Amino acid sequence: MLTKRQNLLETIKGGNPDRFVKQYEFMHFIMEAPNPGGNFPEPGQTIKNNWGITFRWPEGQLGGFPVHDEEHKVLKDITEWKSYVKVPPIPTADEDWAPAIAHAKTVDRNKEFVTVFVAPGVFEMTHHLMSMEDALMALYEEPEAMHELIDRLTEQELAYAKVLIDRLHPDCIFHHDDWGSQKSSFISPQMFEEFYLPAYKKIYGFYKANGVELIIHHSDSYAANLVPFMVDMGVDIWQGVMTTNNTPELIKNYGGKISFMGDIDSGVVDFPAWTPEIVGKEVERACKTCGKLYFIPCLTQGGNWSSFPGVYDTVNEVIDKMTKEMF
Amino acid sequence: MSKIEEVKAMVQSGKAKLIPGLVQEALDEGNEAQNILQAMVDSMSIVGDKFSAGEIFVPEMLMAAKAMSKGVDILKPLFAGQSTASYGTCVIGTVAGDLHDIGKNLVSMMIESAGFEIVNLGVDVSAAKFVEAVKENRNVTLVACSGLLTTTMTAMKETVQALKSSGLTGFKVIIGGAPVTAEFAVSIGADGFAPDAGSAAVKAVELVKG
Ligand code: B12
Repeated sequence: MLTKRQNLLETIKGGNPDRFVKQYEFMHFIMEAPNPGGNFPEPGQTIKNNWGITFRWPEGQLGGFPVHDEEHKVLKDITEWKSYVKVPPIPTADEDWAPAIAHAKTVDRNKEFVTVFVAPGVFEMTHHLMSMEDALMALYEEPEAMHELIDRLTEQELAYAKVLIDRLHPDCIFHHDDWGSQKSSFISPQMFEEFYLPAYKKIYGFYKANGVELIIHHSDSYAANLVPFMVDMGVDIWQGVMTTNNTPELIKNYGGKISFMGDIDSGVVDFPAWTPEIVGKEVERACKTCGKLYFIPCLTQGGNWSSFPGVYDTVNEVIDKMTKEMF
Repeated sequence: MSKIEEVKAMVQSGKAKLIPGLVQEALDEGNEAQNILQAMVDSMSIVGDKFSAGEIFVPEMLMAAKAMSKGVDILKPLFAGQSTASYGTCVIGTVAGDLHDIGKNLVSMMIESAGFEIVNLGVDVSAAKFVEAVKENRNVTLVACSGLLTTTMTAMKETVQALKSSGLTGFKVIIGGAPVTAEFAVSIGADGFAPDAGSAAVKAVELVKG
């Protein structure tokens, strides 16, 4: 039997995997790695992170949210971004990194990929700072200032990448940046190419040039129209691919250049009244229509858990069952 | 190209800065305010169709809506006293527990440009607040509820039930948001559903016209 690592590589290189990759099994997350942006709130909390962005997580709701009323919006005028945006320092002290380093040491890198979760991405940073509407309209109204802001955010990502690589030598980066809704990308491919492709070529290029073997990009959305750019920027696996993308078609067109992880929409299977039957049906459909190569069956959500207890593990059980049937 | 056609083209391409000047010129040429408004409504409906078809994206839509609202600012004084809205008032909000508002705001803009007065209740709106807003505002013909979380679909159901059992009449309920389907809408007793902002405006008019 191949190790998780070998089986993943066989799958994405078009070789001979001996089973389906089970969701996130090959990624060993080092969640102790410090994030220069700072923390996210716990349920019921409101916090201000290191960029000055206020996040609120109202009790009883699914997650936290950046607050963008006039009082809390960090970036109130994009043309003055330099005076509004205070870039936080990157943690570099030994004690900041000691827990992450200790954790990474325990991982057998022949079996699993030492993985760092990087979030939010450059696009997400722009809308966390200034709200989605402002961030999208600024691309038309103040393109120069947006280019400058994006360059600055990219520099920050690169500075963090450098420390991360020095400290942990990760094998894999799991990088979050939601680029769309379930039916379309937020911005047109042309705009993406102008504003965000250059940023990501730099960021992912840097990781690749410095020994990171796998780049996984998370966007749980439609983004089929951006796949050529993902290939260009060096993404090995797009995680979060929703069924609205027609994943089997993407695999046919791009398999070998990039692999696809997802096709089990979280919204369809991960909800309060979920049942093993629904999960079973969705996982089976995904495995059968997408096939064994360049595809990793997975919930579309960004991380190795589910919102409702039991869903993530049930998906894994059905994947095992599909392996028995199909391999 | 006539001025009115220029207005139309520039709303469609989202040239917000040019619109006030062009609308003024169209008026100076002797065009009726009502016709200029109609031209802008028409272009927003084209914008909506293009968005539904995936030809344009959220920024283009936001820019077009901004252009239209700049144009409406110029026309407003000319409609003093009379309302520019021909289909009545639409109360819109994101249901309780849900804070997503990008989709809801796009829907709001499109419904507004189709000829409704908008009362935007914001996000995390309780069923009681929706009902209250129907009571408090004049000529409410439509209530639009948005929800993006599967966990808030129950809040959507409660809201529709509260509205329907409130004893208030004269309005239809339309719902939408990524996890919402036409079947779900029927199952909770809503009057209509639309999958995106472009078709939401079309559906809204259809519902209210009866
Ligand atoms: C952008 C986004 C955010 C932004 C929202 C910013 C804002 N101001 O709204 C931020 C980052 C703040 C955020 C936060 C959260 N999010 Co969020 N978010 C998204 C994302 C990526 C896109 C949503 C969006 O704006 N789409 C663009 C608009 C234009 O599309 P739309 O909303 O679908 O609206 C269109 C149609 O649905 C329709 N429509 C919408 N409303 C209505 C109403 C009517 C009446 C009609 C007719 C039509 C209609 O027309 C619209 C225009 O065409 C989705 C992922 C996805 N794939 O959809 C997740 C998603 C919705 N979020 C999700 C979650 C879980 C959260 C959080 C809990 C935090 C987290 N863990 O990520 C919090 C929510 C807190 C809360 N209580 O609400 C989940 C929901 C999962 C689930 N089980 O339901 C999703 C699906 C992502 C995921 N898979 O994890 N999110």
